[in-house]
Amino acid sequence: MSNLKGKGAIIGIGEVPTGRFPEIEAIQFAVKSAKLAIEDAGIDKEEIDCIMPTAAMFSGVFTNEMATGRIVEELGLKNVKSNSNIWSGGSSSSISLKLACALLAQGDAKNVLMVQTEKLATGMPSGQAGIDLFAFAGMSNEWEVPFGQNFSSLTALATMRYQYETGTTDEQMAAVCVSNRKWAEMNPHAFFRKPLTIEEVMSSKMLARPLRAKMSNMLFDGGSAMIVTSAERAPDVVEKPVYVLGEGGSNTHFVYSQEPDITRFGFAKAGRQAFEQAGLTPADIDVAEIYDSYPIYQVIGFEELGFCKRGEAGEMFLRGDTWPGGKIPCTTDGGMLSKGHIGAGGSYSLLVESVRQLRGEAGERQVPGARFAAETGTGGTYVDAHATILGNEIP
Amino acid sequence: MNIPAKPDPLVNNWARPFWDGTREEKLLIQKCSDCEQYIFYPRMACPHCFSENIEWVEASGKGTIYAFTVVESNAPSPFLEDMPYVIAVIILEEGVRMLSNIVDCNPDDLQCDQSVEVTFEKMNDEFTLPKFKPVKA
Repeated sequence: MSNLKGKGAIIGIGEVPTGRFPEIEAIQFAVKSAKLAIEDAGIDKEEIDCIMPTAAMFSGVFTNEMATGRIVEELGLKNVKSNSNIWSGGSSSSISLKLACALLAQGDAKNVLMVQTEKLATGMPSGQAGIDLFAFAGMSNEWEVPFGQNFSSLTALATMRYQYETGTTDEQMAAVCVSNRKWAEMNPHAFFRKPLTIEEVMSSKMLARPLRAKMSNMLFDGGSAMIVTSAERAPDVVEKPVYVLGEGGSNTHFVYSQEPDITRFGFAKAGRQAFEQAGLTPADIDVAEIYDSYPIYQVIGFEELGFCKRGEAGEMFLRGDTWPGGKIPCTTDGGMLSKGHIGAGGSYSLLVESVRQLRGEAGERQVPGARFAAETGTGGTYVDAHATILGNEIP
Repeated sequence: MNIPAKPDPLVNNWARPFWDGTREEKLLIQKCSDCEQYIFYPRMACPHCFSENIEWVEASGKGTIYAFTVVESNAPSPFLEDMPYVIAVIILEEGVRMLSNIVDCNPDDLQCDQSVEVTFEKMNDEFTLPKFKPVKA
């Protein structure tokens, strides 16, 4: 059986702040992030032989440029064997990382550059036009759009059913936003950094019952990049490699209504595969970087990966178990709810943050002595669930 | 504000019998003649056994609400004037799932697992949408 445990390692990270930057072009974010990642790894840029850019939602033109090698030329790279777009929405980083590790494991790549940028705030229509655009993104134009489905309503469906089955309260769901904000307060790359209270979340505008405005992510500009190399080579290159120890994934639907269980999705299966591969259990994990975008998906990801029993996550987010200083710190960059939603960057950001935490370089947010991290990603209308286990050692 | 027209379903050609059916106020779903499982949304081959031996049958139109929500703000433009409106995932008696709207109801009274039945709403000459309403006790 194939096993990616300890085959690849992240040796470089680069990230630009998340925010509204009308004067900065997407390619500038991409070049800046990539340059930071290359410098962080301390490698010669000519050692990069494989690039995996991720498509951008804001512009088909930019996506096409990245797919056809603009980043190769802008960085002036001479030894690139392949430049290939990886695009599965919010799980793009999970899939890129696993493909990178597979190529590295079989010797078909030496240094892989993964890069993602978006201009969701200033590169496309906002306000009602933005709502209208996103109402058609990833949704079935035959079976969902004609009924007024949109991202708020489909998320509200999962939230409603989950709360019905588990008894989780509105207040506990709101606590996810508060937990993420506590981390974002300490993240200079996050957009929302002012303290947030349960009351503020609970009194914000109702979008689609029981989902309120402050339980909803907002769209921004930003991006990040990573350099991945073989685990064998990594210790010779950098002082603190972060090893990929396990990965798992599960595609469960395309049309949201066809998901067999919108209170679970495929996270249990993805988590089981990833933990088995790593030879670790949730009890070994020091930091849980769980994909949010809305509170419900963070709660489900957290529970299904096994950090608590089903129905218990809400209380943990409320009483502070996931906060700074808590027993299982969760989504320590502030997540898409507080750092901001930059498309496929949601999960990219969590991988970058995992690396910071495992290197002991997360500043004020540092989880003391973090050795192992679990990270999740999911794309489209939560069509796939991905889990990645990372560590600063190979156990 | 100008409210744009509601979007017509973008029909896949093999799903045409479904929309022909709703126009006649019939809820047609597929059934695999080989493995006998019901299928929705319409497929080119059975998603269970891959058979292409698929027939159209009329569903009972009865089901339960798996999940619902009441859209109160930030709807897509064509639906702004409908707010508040109810979106729900319905599990039909035949076991298949379908996204639709719950109509003829007080949204405050809706519950998960509640019984509903199909009703039809004409959009225009070409399209009639299957919607659902609570079954009166």
